[in-house]
Formats: sequence, C-alpha cells, structure tokens
Amino acid sequence: MWTSWKFWVVWGLIIGLIALLAFGFTTDPKKVPSPLVGRPAPDFEITALNGAEKIRLSEFKGKPVLLNYWASWCQECKVEAHILEAFHQKYGSATQQIKVIGIAIQDTPDKAKSFARQFGKTYFLGLDDAAGNIALDYGIYGVPETFFIDPEGTIFYKHIGAVNAELLEKKFKPFF
Amino acid sequence: MGIADFGTIALMAAFAVCVYGTVVPHLGVKNNNWNLIRSAQNASILSFLLIAIASAVLLQALLVSDFSLRYVWEHSSTDMPLFYKVSSFWGGLEGSLLFWVLVQSFFAMIVAFRYQYSNREIIPYVIATLNAIMAFLLLLLIGWSNPLDLQGVIPLEGRGLNPLLQNPAMAIHPPSLYLGFIGFSVPFAFAMGGLILGKMDNEWVLTTRRWTLTAWYFLSAGLILGGQWAYEELGWGGFWAWDPVENAAFMPWLTGTAFLHSVMIQEKRNMLKIWNVVLIILTFGLTIVGTFLTRSGIINSVHAFTQSEIGPAFLIFLAFVLVIGFGLLFKRIQMLESEHKIESVLCRENAFLAQNVLLVGIAFTVLLGTTFPLLAEAVRGTKLSIQAPFFNTIIAPMGYLLLLLMGIGTLIAWRKSSWEGLQRNFKNPLILATAGTVFLAWFLADRDLLWSVHTIFWLTIFVTSTIVLEIVKAVQAKSSQTKSNFIMALFYVIARNPRRYGGLLIHFGVVLMFLGFAGTFFKVERNMTLESGVPQEIGEYSLEFKQMEEFKVGNATHRAAIVNVFDKEGNFLEVLKPAKSFYPTQPQPLTEVAIRRSFLEDLYLIFSSENGGEQDSITLRVFINPLVGWAWMALPVFTLGVGLSMSYRPKSLVAHETILRERYLAAQALNS
Repeated sequence: MWTSWKFWVVWGLIIGLIALLAFGFTTDPKKVPSPLVGRPAPDFEITALNGAEKIRLSEFKGKPVLLNYWASWCQECKVEAHILEAFHQKYGSATQQIKVIGIAIQDTPDKAKSFARQFGKTYFLGLDDAAGNIALDYGIYGVPETFFIDPEGTIFYKHIGAVNAELLEKKFKPFF
Repeated sequence: MGIADFGTIALMAAFAVCVYGTVVPHLGVKNNNWNLIRSAQNASILSFLLIAIASAVLLQALLVSDFSLRYVWEHSSTDMPLFYKVSSFWGGLEGSLLFWVLVQSFFAMIVAFRYQYSNREIIPYVIATLNAIMAFLLLLLIGWSNPLDLQGVIPLEGRGLNPLLQNPAMAIHPPSLYLGFIGFSVPFAFAMGGLILGKMDNEWVLTTRRWTLTAWYFLSAGLILGGQWAYEELGWGGFWAWDPVENAAFMPWLTGTAFLHSVMIQEKRNMLKIWNVVLIILTFGLTIVGTFLTRSGIINSVHAFTQSEIGPAFLIFLAFVLVIGFGLLFKRIQMLESEHKIESVLCRENAFLAQNVLLVGIAFTVLLGTTFPLLAEAVRGTKLSIQAPFFNTIIAPMGYLLLLLMGIGTLIAWRKSSWEGLQRNFKNPLILATAGTVFLAWFLADRDLLWSVHTIFWLTIFVTSTIVLEIVKAVQAKSSQTKSNFIMALFYVIARNPRRYGGLLIHFGVVLMFLGFAGTFFKVERNMTLESGVPQEIGEYSLEFKQMEEFKVGNATHRAAIVNVFDKEGNFLEVLKPAKSFYPTQPQPLTEVAIRRSFLEDLYLIFSSENGGEQDSITLRVFINPLVGWAWMALPVFTLGVGLSMSYRPKSLVAHETILRERYLAAQALNS
C-alpha cells in the first residue's frame, strides 16, 4: 500500500522543510528591502507636535537627516527612544551636524505628546495626517522604521526595528 | 580551576557516558551479552548524576549571584526574590537547554530500569535512542551554549531576569512545556526501538500510554500558563496572538493530541500502525522544530528571545530525527500493514480518523503560516508577514469541526453504528444545543454577537450535553441495577472505567477553552480619560480615579493609578491599581495591568498615561473580557481528567508485564 510516490512525497517534504529552514540563516527577518534606497527622499511638510514650528524636508539639503517613524503604542519604539535622543544630543543639538526628525503614525496628538514627555525627547517630532500620507510615500511596513538620508536628499539606508547607537554612528560617519 | 569548570567537566563526562550508552546496547544485543545492556542501564544513572552535578553548580551560582558566570550575570541580579533566582535557571537559552538535558536524563534513567523485565527485547534500543538524543543535546550545550561559561571581568551587579518573565505563571510555564516536549521522547524512543528491533506489535503503544498522557498534560498546561502569562503581563488584553513562539509549542500539541487518539484505534482495532509511527515522529520532530524556530532567530517574533549560534546545530539534529525516523519506518513498512479494515462509515474509528486529519491539517497550516515568510522570500524574494487574521480565518472553522467531532465521537460506537441508534443518541443533544443557542442569542441580543460566537455556543452546548447525557445514562443504569443512590452509582461508574470518564472530562476542558476563545469575539475595548473624583461608566461598571501612588513591589517601583470600581448601582466593588513599573536594571517602564476577575467576565485596566493640566487626569485602556476565566479553568479540569485516565492500565498489559517479570526472575533463580 505504501507505493513509491508516497515514499518520495515524504522525503520531498522533509528535504524541503530542512532546506527552507536552512535558507532562513541566509536572511535577516528584520531587513526589508526598500525600492526607495538610492532614490531621492519624498518631500513632505509637517507641523511639530507642540504646534510651534512647521518644517519641510527639502529645507535640510546639505545636511544628513535621520528620519524615524514611530508610534506611542509601539514597544520597539520605546527600546530605541533613548538611543535616538542621545544621538540627537550628540550630533543634532550640540554641533548641528545632523537633523533628526521623528514622525508618529497612526497616533493621536495626546498620546504622542505624552510619549515624547515620558522619554524626554528634544528633537523635532511631528504627527502624520490621519490618512497617513507621509507614511504611504515612504512605504512604511511597520514601526519603528528609520530612513538615513544623505546631504543631497537621497535615502542611502533603511532600517527596520529598533536602531542601536553603533549602527547610527557607523552609517553617518562618512558625513561628519 | 573553579567550581564552574568542574560543572563543565561533568557535562563533558556525561556526553562521553551518553555516547557509550548509545553504542553499547547495540553491541549487547549483537553479542547476546546482557551484561553490556546492564552496563548501559547503569550508565544512565551515571549520566543523570553528572548532569545533576552541573545543574547544581549553576543553581548554586544563581543563588549566591556569582557573576563570574556569564549566564548568571545575564539572567539574574542580587535584588531578585529567591523564587525568580531559581526560575532564571530556565529563563535563558543556555540554562533552559541544561534543564532540558537534566529532565531528559532523569526520564532515560527511569525508562532504563522500569521496563527492564517487561520490555526486555526492545529496551536496549530504547536506551540507545534516548542516549543518542541526550548526547546530541549535550553536544549543543557544551559546544554552543554552555551556561557555565566564565567571563573575564566580574561585574558587581547582574542584568536581571527580564521583568516580563517575573511572573509566577512564567516561572512554571517553560518547565511545563519542556516536560511536555521531553515526555514525547519516550514514546518516540519506543517507536524507534520497535522499528530497529523489527517487532512492531502494540506493545510500544500500550507501554508508553502513560508517558504520552503525561507529556500531553504538561504541554497543555504549558500552553495555558503561557496564555495566562501573556494576558497578565503583556498588556494588550488578549492571550493568544499566533506568534511564531506560541505556534512552536502549539504544533506538537496538535500532533500529540492526534497521536493520543489514534493509538486508541491501534489498541482496540489493531489498525493505523504506520500512521501512529508517523505521528510520533512528527510530534517529536515538531518539538525540535519549535525549539529551533524560537532559538535560531530566522523568523521574526515579538518575543525577545536571545538568538544564538545554536541554530544550524539544531537544524542538523532535526534532520537526523526526521531522516532516521522516516528511514526506519520505510525499512519496516511491510511489518506495519493493518490486519483490519474499517467496517462501516458510521463508526468511532472514522470519527477519530477525521479528527486526526483535522488536527494534522491544523498543525500543517500553523507550520505553513509560521514559515511562509521564509518560503515567500526563498521563492519570490518578497518580504511579507503573516498575521493573526490568516490563522483565525483558516483555523477557526477547522476548530469548529473538531468540536463537532468531539461530540459525535462520544456517542458513536466502535466498529459499527446503526442510523437508528445514532438518531436516538443525538436527538437530545441536538435539541438542547439549538434551544440553548437560541436562548443565549436572545439573552445577549444587546451584544451584537458574530456568527462565530453562535456557532461556538451551539457546538459547546452540543458537546457538553453529549458528555452529560452519556454519564447520566450510565449512572441511571448502574443505580437501578445496584439499587444505590445517584452519587454512589456515579462513583462506581467512574471507577469501573476511569479512562473513558477521564477522557470525557478532558473534552469538557476543551469546551471551556473554546468558550474562553468565544469571549474574545465580543469583548469591549475603550480608551477612557478619567479626571480625579469624576466616575465614568463602562459596561456594568463605574470607574473613579482617586490619585497616583508610588510603592515598591519586589525589586520594582510601581507608579500606579488608584481606581475605585463600583457597580452600576454605585456599590463599591474593589480598588484596582493599573501601573507602570520601573525596574532598576531596565531602561524603560513596563505595563502592569490590573484585573478584576469574576465568573462571567474580567474588567482589565491598562494604565496608558498621566495627563498634566489643571485637573489631575489619567488615560486608561479598558477592556471587558467575557469568559476569559473559563479558558483558565480548563487546566484544573485537564488535571483531574488526565489523573483519572492515568489511573487506568490495560489489563492485558498488566498481565503481560507480570508474566515477563516472573519469567525473568525464575530464569535468574535457575542460573544462580
């Protein structure tokens, strides 16, 4: 009753499963390629969470930009919160070498503000509109996602998940 | 040389002993030298002791916070309560692997001696198989993840056990899962033993029945406790999210459940022999797949597990298990062909078969869903993620069918059932289920229930009434036969066939779990901003925020909102304290939910934020979760049910074991 096709199906499935799992080692689940890498960063205009200031991305030509998408409901964003702030303190507010921008998506002003207060954020924070137009332009897959933009306004790297200090230092080093 | 090196040497010695225990039984059988097999038996004591020494070294280091061990530094700190210092033994990858080997070696030792007379032919191969598994695990432990590794610089304070894991349910959930995983290695070893020996009667199935039940119980308990932990600690108001880590433990549970049922067909009807071997290989293999998925980091999970270099080695282990398991099966396949065929469409065998197909189908769906992101990337190069909706849409209907089969299986006879008999048996449950569902629909009309909820209500009432009617019928017959009262008759009936009633009780536990799931379909979820002293209503409750308070809990500081809970009439019920907790070793605060539990629903508060301004106010995320507690009640019901089932041992098996033991002892007496 156990004809040869059953035999081969079983071995096929076993080998397929092992091969698939082995293939897993060659990929990084945190890395999602973006067609935007190497392209000019889509321009946008956004008002600060505190309502005081309005900025446009293109204003910062000539300076690298760290563009971080986050949300107050996101756990990973809490992990990277102090790392981003520390990076801004070091290269943004102190020496003005870089512009750090955080855009909250699918969030409410109140919650986003309380998140900013909780983590002592001092860099520019804005909130995407209700339709999420800026997030759509950047093809956001989930939060946090971080775009690294060079002084010419071209996206040269994209990171999914919480960033770490070494990564930020390494990627922006050529511009400092 | 420090004490930790001593532990590592003990592990290396244990590895050597396990290799010995793998090889020697084969030589013993080949040369017909029982002394060699006896030696392998004794080696299992030695390897257990050696692994126990290494475990004691780690435990001691955890208790005295010896941070010269990297593992102790990474997973504990001096300010942790004793309970969590102990539980950090299995709180991290390396320690949990040591715990695994420790339990595995303990089981191997018991098996080596318990079955030495009764299963004399097969036991050398069983010992060899268990030793091979241990040798592999020890190799992984020593080579890639030794919890006894030292570090050069000795820090003053440890990093602490992840605060999320500092919860009583989480402290016992992993060992419970491991006991389940490891427990299945025993029936697996017996199946392999039988295949190598070339004698596949029903002996392995009968002998390992209690091991299978125990493994199944601990796996179920581990899953329920994990759900409880997620519900209390993670603060999103639910308990199951189809995360890869959850799926990893769920898959062997599914195939294990299928195995538990299909071995009954082999026992009663001498059928499905090949299928049972396939199921136990799959179940044991899936425990390895599960561990591999959670530890290798190849799949994205919200669970922050330490990833390590152990992945490839684990994959090789998995390949070994599958290749050797199925290789042996194909070699012996002629031996396993069934002697009986299914006689009728309407019989319990078919209900069991359909149930098996469904369970394996669900396991396959879960495996596919979990690994699909990899598959998509391998084939199309695209990145995607599979979320809960996929699993819910596909698996929910399969779950409903399972529930239906559970009811049918209870009332349908082995071998052959007549239509008339079926109609008679099913009439009352069908009426009860339909009437009950209509009543609930009317009673809960204001809740706007989904069809899934009505479906689950119908099915759960149907299954429950088949169980209750079955028991009532048996008890009535007994009480009129023996002229005893109802309670005594119930006692007689259960004592006569504890296995059947244990099984029915477990089915009732499954019903409770389904009701717990049904509750998630009509939970209420709302964000509420409460000003101090101004009560607001939600559902049957009224919530009033008093003030913020700070207090110490263990090694954490909680900043809590004090919320008074009243019922609608204004009667005070309880003070709830949803909070953020700050741990000295963690940079960001954690959410501490506050839950008011009652029989029908939970009031579940998550503290979102404190809002400044003139009037003190807070924002809470409020859930009303109906029937959640029922899912947890499944655990005590399972405990009782499994206990009853375990108390039964097939008479043929007891007789068989006694004869073999006496024959062996008589032969011994003759020789001396």
